[in-house]
Amino acid sequence: MMSLLLDYQYFPITKPGKGAGGKTGSWRVIKPVIDLSKCIGCKACFMFCPESTIVPKGGKVTVDYEYCKGCGVCSNVCPVKAISMVSET
Amino acid sequence: MIRKIISGNEAVATAVKLARVGLTGIYPITPQTSIIEKLAEMKAQGEIQTEIVRVESEHSAMAATYGAALAGIRAFTATASQGLLYMHEMVWWVAGSRVPVVMVVGTRAVGAPWNIWNEHTDFTSERDSGWIMAFASNPQEALDLTIQAFRISEDERVFLPVMVGMDGFILSHTKTNVLIPDQEQIDDYLPPRRQPYVIDPEDPVEIGNMFPPEGYMKLRESIHLALKNSEDIIRQHGREYNKKVSPMIDYSTLNSSYRLEDADYAVVLMGAWAGDAMEAIDVLREKGIKIGMLRVRYLRPWSEKEIKENLEGKKGVLVVDRSTSFGRGGPLYIEVKSTIQDTEVKDIVTGLGGVTVGKNDMIYLFSKFVEGIKEDVTWYYPKEVGKLDIRTPRDIE
Ligand code: SF4
Ligand code: SF4
Repeated sequence: MMSLLLDYQYFPITKPGKGAGGKTGSWRVIKPVIDLSKCIGCKACFMFCPESTIVPKGGKVTVDYEYCKGCGVCSNVCPVKAISMVSET
Repeated sequence: MIRKIISGNEAVATAVKLARVGLTGIYPITPQTSIIEKLAEMKAQGEIQTEIVRVESEHSAMAATYGAALAGIRAFTATASQGLLYMHEMVWWVAGSRVPVVMVVGTRAVGAPWNIWNEHTDFTSERDSGWIMAFASNPQEALDLTIQAFRISEDERVFLPVMVGMDGFILSHTKTNVLIPDQEQIDDYLPPRRQPYVIDPEDPVEIGNMFPPEGYMKLRESIHLALKNSEDIIRQHGREYNKKVSPMIDYSTLNSSYRLEDADYAVVLMGAWAGDAMEAIDVLREKGIKIGMLRVRYLRPWSEKEIKENLEGKKGVLVVDRSTSFGRGGPLYIEVKSTIQDTEVKDIVTGLGGVTVGKNDMIYLFSKFVEGIKEDVTWYYPKEVGKLDIRTPRDIE
């Protein structure tokens, strides 16, 4: 990226990071809960989560609940059934 | 430099070659098709290295061009009419992303109904998208402006895409004498591409994602300022083109004038029919009518300064539009009228959908104007239009 000294020049780019825009809010009704004793760290859930809210951590995975939409895709793809969808209501 | 008899489309393809374009997103649409055919031919003969990406629509043509440009490659595409309308969304994305891209529009009428002939409405309808918009009046200018477009687009004070309009068929398919610069001259004039940011897996950025209202508005203002500031930059690069490449056409101004200095009356228009207008002006001058012409070469940025300098104080200004803004005057007329408020400005809309308007029509229109026509907007038909045999639906019983 070049340094631009012109004070009127702005570009619509941002560094990747958590944004306020995609937060789930209060409408999710079920959430994935990972049984880490069963998890084999294959990262299938990480690959398939449409919201990128599975966070690989120390060979296993955790969920970022601020952005998880509760769709259950992770639970479906887990080969060892380590993820169960739990009611939040 | 060599001289060659080529069409406007070949002139554009030659400009793309000389600019060492890295990628061309292509989808054919009349009358632009032979630009990409020519490029494909050059590619097949090993004359250019340009990557030619064939896609399934104009929307994708602009998307592919946009993607390549984001990755730091000099990128080009061309379109016309419905094709431009189809890529409209992407046209805005490119400008909003502030990424240098050049596109040529072989202008053509827009449906419905179907019509493949020349007019400017497709081009003028992109007026508010944030692109710099140049318009050629002969194949030589189409070549020169396309090369200059890359220089302007990639200037760090600008970083906006540039589209170059060219009358469909009248320029795109008509062959004339064109002076073709040498590769060394263009290499000297056009430095390697610069751009504000690139997509890079090592240093990822998000492009055009959600911005809150104030941030979004600030970005819009930035486009506005960059477009306004491009006025001087276009003149600067024009002068440099005259010096380094060819002095044949004067590019030191955004617009071009003819016998305007001592004129009482002025006509304003854009594109190829400026040639007919110039001949008409010569005829009227011989009759003692002091009339001149201002040809708009850049619709955006709109040089208020040049328009005022050239037109203010005239007894009357006639704008001849080959384009429509329904329910209002022609787009050029609206621009001119809002720039010179104290001068009388009249509008003629004509030449739509390929209607031929030649030197004699211009003589007729200009003399009528000097005599004084009353209406603000007049639609002019050179030939009588027969009773339109258009069917109406029958009543449903
Ligand atoms: S429930 Fe859906 S959104 Fe939440 S972590 Fe699983 S796949 Fe991702
Ligand atoms: S898919 Fe199941 S086993 Fe694989 S990482 Fe995710 S939770 Fe662990």
